[in-house]
Amino acid sequence: MPSYELSLVLRQLPRPELISVIKRTAESIFNKGGIIRKLENLGARPLPHKVSEHGVVHKEGTYFSIFFDTAPTKILDLKEEFGRDIDIIRRNIYKVEESAEFKCTLHDEMLPPAYRKDVQEIIDIAKRKHKPKYNYNSGLDYYPFQK
Amino acid sequence: MLRQLLNPMSVTAVKTGSNDFALEFVRWRRKPRWLPVAKSKVFRVPERKKQTEEERIELMRLHNQYKTQLRSVRQYLREEVIRHQETSTADHIVLTPEQEEAEFQRCLEVNAEWNAKIAGEREVRLAKERDEKVAYVQERLEAGKLREEERRERADERIRFEIEQSKTFVTRANLDEAIEAALANPVDHNFAIDLAGNLYRGRGTQSLNN
Repeated sequence: MPSYELSLVLRQLPRPELISVIKRTAESIFNKGGIIRKLENLGARPLPHKVSEHGVVHKEGTYFSIFFDTAPTKILDLKEEFGRDIDIIRRNIYKVEESAEFKCTLHDEMLPPAYRKDVQEIIDIAKRKHKPKYNYNSGLDYYPFQK
Repeated sequence: MLRQLLNPMSVTAVKTGSNDFALEFVRWRRKPRWLPVAKSKVFRVPERKKQTEEERIELMRLHNQYKTQLRSVRQYLREEVIRHQETSTADHIVLTPEQEEAEFQRCLEVNAEWNAKIAGEREVRLAKERDEKVAYVQERLEAGKLREEERRERADERIRFEIEQSKTFVTRANLDEAIEAALANPVDHNFAIDLAGNLYRGRGTQSLNN
């Protein structure tokens, strides 16, 4: 099962109700045969702008994210279910990609162009395309090829 | 005079002594060549030259003599050629049947020898190709086995990692505690970085003050 991250913005609620909303959300993931890896609370914060959701205008929200695994076919159902929850202002599910291996090449990139490997390759390609040219001071007093 | 000037043959005619005999009529001085025969001359039938009986007999005698002589010379030459062809071996080699059989046997031997030589070379080449093929297949099989082992190793590694991770998974049983713990410990993934590569964690710049 692929890993997903569910990012939620919950409406401002007293603590017991907040707990019940999170619990409801987690239960719906469990009901779809999912596994929850981690819960993260990102804190309560004013929203970047007024958000009108389920007929109510919100200015503050609690940011919460749930890391879970489930079958890809269940994702649409989960989205639909969270979309119906009036305590959730914003919800989105992202696929968790394994981070690609990264090697820092800044030192090579900061070199002058003539020393960079990719530039040297480009110069090589240009040299390959260059046709041999007749050398005029090679002793013949006429041009031996067709002009 | 005009006739002599216009006819280039006249000079040679003078030299050979037959002056008026080979005279050619220069017609196109008088009338262009492409003009048709004059109307008054269309139905003119040239009169045949008269030959006397003695002249005809004499000409026939000369003619017959000439033809007879030429025929006899031709027949002699033809017979000579045939005779030459029968006796000479200049342009072809005459072999007796035994010699022909021996030549054929020699050709067969040469051919058989050649075939044997090529067969030997082919055997060597095919054996080499077979060995190369076997080695290639063996190499590919080993590489495939190694690849499969590596894949299995990676999968096992992943499974071990997931089993290790599963100890911290949230289940229905510990859901309440997990939610409590999450609410009690808000996390902040924001950070800033300066030119020296120092990390300043947190949404604000509180870590600077700390």
